[in-house]
Amino acid sequence: MTNIAIEGLSLSLGTFALDNVEVALDGGQILVVLGPNGSGKSVLLETIAGFHRPDAGRILIRGIDVTRLPPERRRVAFVVQNFGLFPHLTVEQNVRLALGPHAKDKRSGVLSPLAGDAAALLSYFGVSHLAARTPGRLSPGEKQRVALARALAANPDLFLFDEPFSALDSQTREQLRDDLLSLLRRICLPAIFVTHDHTDALTLADRVLVLRHGKTVQVGTADDVYRRPSDAFVARFSGVENILTGRTGAAQGNRLPVAVGDIVLQAVKPSSPPGAEVQVCIRAEEVRLHDARSAQDSEWRENRFTASVANIRRMGAVVRVELEGPCRLACCLLTPQLQEMRLERGSSVEVSIAAEALHLIPA
Amino acid sequence: MANRAQHGWWRSAAPSHPTTVFLLLWLLGSLLLAFVLIPLLVLAGTPSLSGLIDAARMPDVRDSILLSLEAACLSAILTALFGVPLAYVLARTRFVGRGIISAIVDLPLAVPHTVAGIALLMVFGRQGILGEPLQALAGLKFWGTLAGVVVAMMFVSAPYTVNAARVGFEGVDLQLEKIARTLGLGPWRTFWKITLPLARRGIFTGMMLTFARSISEFGAVVILVYYPKTAPVEIYELFLRVNLQQAVAAAVLLLAVSLGLFVLLRFVAHNPDLRESR
Amino acid sequence: MRVAATSSISALICVLAVLPATNAASAAEPTKLTIFAAGTLAVPFREVDALFEKKYQGVKVQPQFGGSVKMAKQITELHQDADLLAVADYSVIPKYMFAQPAHAAWYVGFARNAITFVYTDKSKGAKDINGKNWYTVLAQKGVEIGRSNPDTDPSGYQTVQMLNLANTFYNDAKIEDAVLANAPLSNVRDTETSLISALQLGQLDYLAIYRSDALQHHLKFIEMPNKIDLSDPAQSAYYQQGVAHTKNGDLKGKPIVYAITMVTGSKNADMAEKYVAFLLGPEGQAVMKKNGFGEFKPAYAVNSNAMPASLQTLVEPWPGQ
Repeated sequence: MTNIAIEGLSLSLGTFALDNVEVALDGGQILVVLGPNGSGKSVLLETIAGFHRPDAGRILIRGIDVTRLPPERRRVAFVVQNFGLFPHLTVEQNVRLALGPHAKDKRSGVLSPLAGDAAALLSYFGVSHLAARTPGRLSPGEKQRVALARALAANPDLFLFDEPFSALDSQTREQLRDDLLSLLRRICLPAIFVTHDHTDALTLADRVLVLRHGKTVQVGTADDVYRRPSDAFVARFSGVENILTGRTGAAQGNRLPVAVGDIVLQAVKPSSPPGAEVQVCIRAEEVRLHDARSAQDSEWRENRFTASVANIRRMGAVVRVELEGPCRLACCLLTPQLQEMRLERGSSVEVSIAAEALHLIPA
Repeated sequence: MANRAQHGWWRSAAPSHPTTVFLLLWLLGSLLLAFVLIPLLVLAGTPSLSGLIDAARMPDVRDSILLSLEAACLSAILTALFGVPLAYVLARTRFVGRGIISAIVDLPLAVPHTVAGIALLMVFGRQGILGEPLQALAGLKFWGTLAGVVVAMMFVSAPYTVNAARVGFEGVDLQLEKIARTLGLGPWRTFWKITLPLARRGIFTGMMLTFARSISEFGAVVILVYYPKTAPVEIYELFLRVNLQQAVAAAVLLLAVSLGLFVLLRFVAHNPDLRESR
Repeated sequence: MRVAATSSISALICVLAVLPATNAASAAEPTKLTIFAAGTLAVPFREVDALFEKKYQGVKVQPQFGGSVKMAKQITELHQDADLLAVADYSVIPKYMFAQPAHAAWYVGFARNAITFVYTDKSKGAKDINGKNWYTVLAQKGVEIGRSNPDTDPSGYQTVQMLNLANTFYNDAKIEDAVLANAPLSNVRDTETSLISALQLGQLDYLAIYRSDALQHHLKFIEMPNKIDLSDPAQSAYYQQGVAHTKNGDLKGKPIVYAITMVTGSKNADMAEKYVAFLLGPEGQAVMKKNGFGEFKPAYAVNSNAMPASLQTLVEPWPGQ
């Protein structure tokens, strides 16, 4: 049974707008709303929370239409950047403040012993020892846990996260993200997570909604968005490095040739008509480099050609290599691989790409 | 806190500014400080200790100081009661006349005090549009009463509370209010538990300024009320009736009491753990 | 080269040195005459000043008005510079200005006034009140009477003296208390401004003030018997029976005579002298009369031998002072 449903939500708010946004969530699913700044993702979240009245559409939480209800009656938890803990109250006071009339309502599973019990909540999130501290003296990880404990104290039906990690460094970000994921899995409540970082989507999402100028561009699993973007925008946004223009040829069996640059590559997408202009999306990690001398047969993929190294950019464990040849491609290697192959600028290298790695989008 | 550099006993909050710039700023600031401090010190140094004790012994002087404190206190409280909600509305909402309302709030600062007094007399006097019904219905009189003193004080000092409280509210992160709502707090509880405490500093500063300004008001008060005498009126009368020395002695007494009170209030209200959310 | 430079520099210096002098000669700075005067003299003195400036070109009169005592103290205690002091009660000058170090050596009376009650159409009992029944109307319940502060202002204590005299005049010892009951401390103010405004706004029904003010502000007033309204120097002995108990002690009634003096050490003694003569002369006196002040003739002066010679001829010694 669908737990959360957003139907045809439309709203115009100055420069921000939402246009007919629809999505549904079950049980403990996490939806990540992905989009660039100005795409309306925060507005969407705030509308679900109850801070904007939509011009059209409905919001249903557990089957109840909450579209006309004020925020305090929607049973929705809202977590923001820096977690929004009340600075003038201690951790315990923060949590207690949220213990309202619904606090003791029945909950299932892991949450039932916690209902209405501030001490139990603090203990569940491992922050009991911080009860008397003020938020100013907590680490980001501690703040996140306290924010979740407080949110749970109000006994919500839905969690909303508005880019809570955006002010943090990448290491802290990763830790907090993992922490959050395991906590959300345990709690088993639906959550909507808004971000502009596609790696958040990969880690957290059961479903992803890509938003652009208030319109839904693609809805699906993280894999769908990542590997099968519906258009060039989504592709770029989910980090596809290579988006090349090409022209399809006539399909032969389950292979479709695509002319890209000076080469014809084989794709597995017979549904595209022949002679059509397409955008070919190839993720950087799908472009394999081979040491001509030592490569095993099994390593080669269908589309093979030779290219030369135009540029090498080291980015820690990963190296980005820009290739010139029949077409310009970016690929990524692990640093040890680079060292083994002894690649440098101008080196000639063998490239192969699997047919399945080519994703075609109509131009 | 992390970006406060420590240079021995002198902590600078802006270590990025070279010392010469900071010294120049200090110099300019010191001139203003001296400008305020020197006349006050000269005034304070004028009466002898026995003169001060004599002034403190005079029941008229003591009564006038107590009346000033009492009336200024009421003025600050009543101004806060009505001014803080106005400040909140001005801080949080956008509406067409907002700029005009802000300007109106500041107007009393530009009105000459005697004129303000006469305007208040027109409204709150025996035949005034508010004075007449209030006297008939509630027996409330403003001519020659404590109420009149408070009303005159409020008129001239209200802008301070509204403006400072407004700045206080503007400094409260709207996100926190939104979060409170989602946690189940209605708009009223959110205001009481979240917004108001976080705006405390601004509100308190405003009330202090209103209180201080109220104590010193003379021109507007004296139109409505001469007896009972507030401290400024008593000091003025001492100058006329007796001599400058006595007037100055009473004035220094008033300043000493006021100073002591301000220091005490600031000390009580200052909470080092309070950090406003940004 | 060097010689040329030094000579041109010295020429420049000479020119600059001479410049202020030539400026002064050609600009002819007007003489500023500063007068501190009682508030009730504001209107007539502005007229006198205008006529005086017309007569004596090159003089700018700068008057400042306030309570008589306040203006005297601005000279004696605040050490402000003034050339002349004019007060509403002649006794203010010897009391404050003669004390050592002396700021004045003499004074001359130049106008009289009377204490009366002013009122408007809105005032309670306005239709019935007259010079005979005024004290019964004023004593009625609910009548609000305003008056000046007797501890600091001449018109304040003169009001009380007048009421005290009424007890004797009408042979009714209750008059003063009955009227003052309607003029409690809450109705006492220090400045005329608030009192007149209060009357016009209906806060007060009656206001004890000088007759000249009544005429200047176009207010109705009561014609009081001159035996009690302190207007007649001939009644000085009778007036002494009227006593006001103030914080400055018990003050006996005196006729209301405005007096003026020259402040010792004034830098414009010449002009100040001319001003006093002008005020005592026909033009000055005409202005005072026009504004509702009584004539004070002959002009009595105290310590006339300390006055400038030209002024001595205009005055007579004040009998009994």
